[in-house]
Amino acid sequence: MRPIITLTIVGLLSAVLLAVVDDFTREPIRIAKEQMKRKAIEEIFPFEIDSLKTVTTDKTTFYEALDKEMKLQGIAVESSTNLGYSGRIEILLGVSPEQKIFDYKVVYHLETPGLGDKIDKPKFKAQFRNRTLEDTNWKVRKDGGDIDELTAATISSRAISDAVLTGLRYIKEQYSKTTEE
Amino acid sequence: MNEALNILTRGFVKENPVTKMLLGLCPVLAVTTSAINGLGMGLATTFVLLGSNMVISLASKAIPSTVRIPSFILVIATFVTIVDLLIKAYSPELNQALGIFIPLIVVNCMILGRAEAFASRNGIWYSFIDAIGMGLGFTFALLLLSAFREVLGSGTIFNIPIVGEDASTILVFALPPGAFAGLGLIIAGLNSLEKKQGGK
Repeated sequence: MRPIITLTIVGLLSAVLLAVVDDFTREPIRIAKEQMKRKAIEEIFPFEIDSLKTVTTDKTTFYEALDKEMKLQGIAVESSTNLGYSGRIEILLGVSPEQKIFDYKVVYHLETPGLGDKIDKPKFKAQFRNRTLEDTNWKVRKDGGDIDELTAATISSRAISDAVLTGLRYIKEQYSKTTEE
Repeated sequence: MNEALNILTRGFVKENPVTKMLLGLCPVLAVTTSAINGLGMGLATTFVLLGSNMVISLASKAIPSTVRIPSFILVIATFVTIVDLLIKAYSPELNQALGIFIPLIVVNCMILGRAEAFASRNGIWYSFIDAIGMGLGFTFALLLLSAFREVLGSGTIFNIPIVGEDASTILVFALPPGAFAGLGLIIAGLNSLEKKQGGK
């Protein structure tokens, strides 16, 4: 009997302790998550953001970056691809109101350190600036497109082109529709 | 007091969990791609070790030996979950970098090893000292390996570039094989240092 009672008590005590800690950290965790997102959005736009407005559609979420006069300065969109070398890659893509790319940021990836993870380096990202859905052939050079692939990381580069393209399409097809209504 | 000092220092060199006992190598090899990660992992593990060692040294007399291991694991898992929640709340960047390896501290055999071999047989004061010594020894080893790998593999230290962005680095040190090679080199280096000092 004694082992059962002991183990039950140990389990109960740790459950109580964890419930307290969970209760205590729930709000800070939510705030931390929001701040991480806000920071990521601030990083992709080259201007000061005064406030953010969230527009949600069934496929993704858009963030409208507004300046002090509440004028739309840029749109950020969450996009993703499953074509990465190690699976899913999630990015946050920022475009101007004319739907020209400012920059993007890789939010989640499992690409190889030192090779594929260069998709988040400024040097690689610079080539995406000012591109639009129409004026670019969204493939890497090896496949006859316009995007310079990273040496030894063609698959990761392909995946990023795909994620950026998906993001641009979301903005073209869904965002424009939602805001026009 | 001499005994306490002995317990504290032996975790660093003589019985260092990583370089001498080769315990808890999963996080050692997996997260040491950058110095920040190594330091974060080391400190998180130290916190868990501190909590589990103290609770176990207090409670071990009340726990029958048949359920010793499950109880220890429960205590360890509780502290790991607390660390996980705290990191998520107060250091989301570190959480992003370490990800799954924080919950995996539960299965770090170094922690169960200290609980079983030391804390369950000693008083709370010595268990506390032991956790500090072993935890810092673990952190020290992780920091050494991760700094070594970050400098050679990525050309940065604590994310500060020390070579230009275009300079080529020894990529293998950023990859898993580099972790094994780096650890081997560090252990070999420490052993030969010890021999020179006329140890064994």
